[in-house]
Amino acid sequence: MKEIVIISGKGGTGKTSVTASLAYLAGKSIIVADCDVDAADMHLLMKPVNDRKEDFFSGVLAEIDQDKCIKCGKCSNVCRWKAIPIVENKYVVQPLDCEGCGYCSLVCPTDAISMNEQNVGNWIISDVKTNTQMVHARLGIGAENSGKLVAKVKNEAKVLAEKSEKDFIVVDGSPGIGCPVVSSLSGANLVVLVTEPSVSGIHDVKRVYELVKKFGIKAGCIINKADINPDKVKEIHQFLETENIQLIAEIPYDENFTKAMTMGKTIVEYDPDGIGEILKNSWEKIRKI
Amino acid sequence: MAKKGEKVKILLTAKGTEWDSKMDPRFGRTEFFFIYDEETEKVETYDNRAIVNEAHGAGPKTAQKMSEFGVDVLITGNGPGGNAAAVVTQTGTKVYVGAGDMTVKEAYDAYKNGKLK
Repeated sequence: MKEIVIISGKGGTGKTSVTASLAYLAGKSIIVADCDVDAADMHLLMKPVNDRKEDFFSGVLAEIDQDKCIKCGKCSNVCRWKAIPIVENKYVVQPLDCEGCGYCSLVCPTDAISMNEQNVGNWIISDVKTNTQMVHARLGIGAENSGKLVAKVKNEAKVLAEKSEKDFIVVDGSPGIGCPVVSSLSGANLVVLVTEPSVSGIHDVKRVYELVKKFGIKAGCIINKADINPDKVKEIHQFLETENIQLIAEIPYDENFTKAMTMGKTIVEYDPDGIGEILKNSWEKIRKI
Repeated sequence: MAKKGEKVKILLTAKGTEWDSKMDPRFGRTEFFFIYDEETEKVETYDNRAIVNEAHGAGPKTAQKMSEFGVDVLITGNGPGGNAAAVVTQTGTKVYVGAGDMTVKEAYDAYKNGKLK
């Protein structure tokens, strides 16, 4: 069983559209994992039903027991985030400002402050329209994606894949190069970089590839919107050659991507002979890398 | 730094505590350390599973823990990533990757036969 992670560095390159298409083509031979939890969109295209939800706990927040509080104000003084103002004559923690460092609870002379684990959302296993399962997550407002959550989603996908003897896990990775991306890459067998020929597209794919290199994972690249800037495409080719990354496909700019999305379909379903054909070839290449 | 043929202390990232346990392909969030000291031929294990509770910084934390065991060689699946790699480089530990799909024994043998990068 192999873990294929799709990342882009930059947002808006078409990463999720490509991932959903590959997932559609691979059908029931894979388990789908959506690790782009901050802006999870895979569910729009994969139509999950029959959700099995579990709570996800992450991080701690300070909470003041008003019966024990003697209103000395020490907590409020040490708080770097000014998260404990006086509200109606009481010291009250502001949940969105509290970073959970625990300094307040350390200095409280009456042990009135406890640090409590937060239920920040759910992780979910659903049946999807391709006759397989998808593991994804939904976070509450103000909650952020983390290495912990990505590791959880990937782990559950792995358990499912092993149990039902799937060939692959296809992971929609998160944008950027931060903690969630590190966690997406950890343990992966193959990385597919989805980029576009724009200044920021190239800049960001190079940055995220630095990280991929540190992990020593094999990589392939799909250039989306490949006909919008020939000079930048050349620049991407040079980068791929220098880094010995396989060019999997070049996809032309096509408004059908958006049309398919509005209908909640992958581009492979909407345009099977055009872009769909390119992506079909892409999946054939990817599964053999 | 270990020379060729010298007996060294090796840390493998594992899913369990036996020679036939599967390797954990991840460094930062590995479930166990399987540590084999070639000199004394003794195995030591460390349960790292509490790392699942860390929202961020799993890599550097595991790297710090690893440094306490004073190992010469690290064998894992892939990684360590950016921050953890910085710690591992500081400790002078030699890193071998590509053992993610093996058992601990297979990974050790592959390392001995020079099959890991």
